[in-house]
Amino acid sequence: MGVYTKNMRKNIAVIFGGKSAEHDISIITAHVPIIDSLLVNGKFDVWPVYIAKGGSWYADKAMNNLAFFKQDAWEEKVAKMKKIGLLFDNGLELVWPGLLSKKVKIDIVFPAMHGTYGEDGSLMGLLRMAGAPFVGCDLAASAVAMDKVLTKQVVAAEGMPVVPYVWFTRTEWKEDKETVLTKAKTLSMPVFVKPVHLGSSIGMTRVKNEKELLNAIEVALHYDDKVLVENAVEPLIEITLPIMGNDKPRVAECERPLNKTEFFDFNDKYLANGKKSEGSGANSAYSEVPANIDDDLSNKVKELGVRVYKALGCAGIARVDFLIRADTKEMYVNEVNTLPGSLYHHNWKKAGVSNMELVLELVRLAEDRFVRQKETTYTFHSDILQKVGSSGKVGLKV
Amino acid sequence: MNNKRQTVNGAKRWLSRRHWNYIRSLVYMLQASEYIIVDFLKWHERVKDFRFVEKRKHLTFTPKTVILFTLGWIVLLATLSGAVFVFYTIASPWNYLLAALLVFEAPLIAMVSLLFFVICMRFAQYPVEQFFIARTKKHLIAHRGIKIAIAGSFGKTSMREVLKAVLSEGRKVAAPGESYNTPLSIARFVKELKGDEDVLIFELGEYYPGDVRKLAQMVRPEWGIITGVNEAHLEKFGVLKNTTDTVFELAESVDASRLYVNGESELARARSKGGNILYTRSGTEEWQVKNPNTDLSGITFTLLKNGVSINVHSSVCGLHVLGPLSAAVHIASRLGLASHEISDGIAKTKPFAHRLEPKQWPDGVTFIDDSYNGNPDGARAAIEFLASLQGRRFYVTPGLVEAGLRIKEVHEEIGKQLAKAGIEKVVLIRTSVASYMESGLQAGDFKGEILRYDDMPSALAALRALALPGDVILIQNDWPDQYA
Repeated sequence: MGVYTKNMRKNIAVIFGGKSAEHDISIITAHVPIIDSLLVNGKFDVWPVYIAKGGSWYADKAMNNLAFFKQDAWEEKVAKMKKIGLLFDNGLELVWPGLLSKKVKIDIVFPAMHGTYGEDGSLMGLLRMAGAPFVGCDLAASAVAMDKVLTKQVVAAEGMPVVPYVWFTRTEWKEDKETVLTKAKTLSMPVFVKPVHLGSSIGMTRVKNEKELLNAIEVALHYDDKVLVENAVEPLIEITLPIMGNDKPRVAECERPLNKTEFFDFNDKYLANGKKSEGSGANSAYSEVPANIDDDLSNKVKELGVRVYKALGCAGIARVDFLIRADTKEMYVNEVNTLPGSLYHHNWKKAGVSNMELVLELVRLAEDRFVRQKETTYTFHSDILQKVGSSGKVGLKV
Repeated sequence: MNNKRQTVNGAKRWLSRRHWNYIRSLVYMLQASEYIIVDFLKWHERVKDFRFVEKRKHLTFTPKTVILFTLGWIVLLATLSGAVFVFYTIASPWNYLLAALLVFEAPLIAMVSLLFFVICMRFAQYPVEQFFIARTKKHLIAHRGIKIAIAGSFGKTSMREVLKAVLSEGRKVAAPGESYNTPLSIARFVKELKGDEDVLIFELGEYYPGDVRKLAQMVRPEWGIITGVNEAHLEKFGVLKNTTDTVFELAESVDASRLYVNGESELARARSKGGNILYTRSGTEEWQVKNPNTDLSGITFTLLKNGVSINVHSSVCGLHVLGPLSAAVHIASRLGLASHEISDGIAKTKPFAHRLEPKQWPDGVTFIDDSYNGNPDGARAAIEFLASLQGRRFYVTPGLVEAGLRIKEVHEEIGKQLAKAGIEKVVLIRTSVASYMESGLQAGDFKGEILRYDDMPSALAALRALALPGDVILIQNDWPDQYA
């Protein structure tokens, strides 16, 4: 590695934490592999930007070390740090207010947030407003992918297979349970009941009969205001496929989660066998990579994955999940995750992409997209203000 | 630009000597230098920031270091108090001058005081040491066990472990667990013996001419093994002849027919005499090694003697260990161990800690820890072993230390060996010898990639980010703080 002086290094902000059920997972993703790789690369001045569960923003380089978040009472230590503000002044600036105020101009942002208020497009909207280049999917793709129903609607509209499903809102449920239940009963048991916006299988239930359905819906509505009920695919082969790129996406390896329980839950994903996934990021030893499926099926998954990626307008990185009937090999698109935990670096490694290569490639893709976005004109000159009358009417349809 | 950097570094060093951690750093440096004042002073001269000298290890509080630590602070505070006293009692302007001198040079006064104390302690220790040596000699004369002594510039610990494992199948063997190779540490080991041991194995350390003779006279070995002579500790010995003379001081205490010499070490072989038993990876005169094979699981080979063959496996890696194994087998055979005991003994040899010790990272990367191996022969063996493995291979090293006047040649040679072996990635730590290795790589027309990092922790962090499943990473030598 070359020696880069401070002036030659780019300021990169890695944003993590946030008001999300996956707050802690986000801390892991931010460090393994993102911050770890950026730090050793030497070309970046890395600013860890942590959003507390309450929504306050902090940036202190002590948080570049994952060990900071493992110490006792780390949240109290964070609370004693100076909160930062943001300035959208021809880009993004971190501002430490007060007597010894400081500003740092951020050259690029690496969002590492899972779930709500981060992965759902909220953060991307903020960064678009700031005019800062950022890694990963943009606002629209993030928002669509965060909503399992919208994802299925887009995928189905593009002629790709999804399992039969119904959906409803909390209001609809409160106002007319019978109609909702009738709709749900059109599906064949067993079914899965899922909160639409949550990841990591939180609030998700496998329902075997109508008796269990009511309870499962109540559980899902506890976490979300929109609920999806869909047919369970059985016998099931679950496959997940990480994809990276902008216009020309490349795929990693097909991966098969090794479910320990009835379905793949939070503990399977992050705490397989009750072991800590230290040193390996948010995913370790809970899946089979590459999946032990035949080449033909693997190729079909990869082909369909790229179609889904493009249909949703994903960029940078995403992960597409599939449900496959083991006996008939019927394949369904399940959902899309626009920030896979720890970037699924374990899978990319199997595909021959090291942590460093993965992180640097994502930064490059973000810069590339930003340059191309600059080619688009978002404003134009008009004389509408001169033409507007005192009543505010200009006789134009706007 | 360079002048500016030098000024900044100089200022940082000057200020860091006035940091409250300075006394602790001095005591740590003395402890890590084994209280050898020349080594301490060389290190002190190199330090850029005295706040951060404890990088790989930390100060261990022993009675000696507690005394030094306390003394350092007493001297420092007394000097500062003296400055106040001088300021108020001596007439102007001399009070300003003298007080300022005392304040600014208080760290120097503290350091000189500590060194003076260390010298005094050495004088005080001498009779104590002589007492322990005499007592140990007496114990060992009375002990019924066979004494085997090992001397050499390198490979002593590996030889000791191999010998211990092989002989333990048929005999009760005692050998110190760590690198106990000085008079006092050997005395400590002997004191703990029960008296019923059949075989005692000793490592004889050599830092200065006469060291091996002194230890050999203390131990009085019946059997001796010379593991080889190379540039290790050459900084202290000056020329290789002095190293050879010192190592072969062991020959003065052992009958020629019971002295084993590593035939693969050119200098050792040249100094060996008729009657000595040479051992190499091909075996010894009596025991022949056939069909050797090595991988990450260890080595497999056949031992042949007078038409009798034994198939053996050891989990120690690298063909270079066949020599020490052959010597151990030869000695075991002469001590009356049966063939099955010998093969069982070899099967029980395990990789030595931090010496070509293979480990697996969870993501499918093989990590070979050779961080305690810091001599040219060890490096050659490590490169040879790495080259025999499959996968993308990383060789990580800060270089070797104490190679004295041959430092350039030794490191250029390592570079050439790496190029010849076709290693894909050479990871160099930015030390004083890195450029020599780069020259060697260039001279050998190295086709791989060279990566450079400031220190070993940075290199290891980077390797975690760079490595892929199937990669093999070998860490060759890790410089202690005093060389970093």
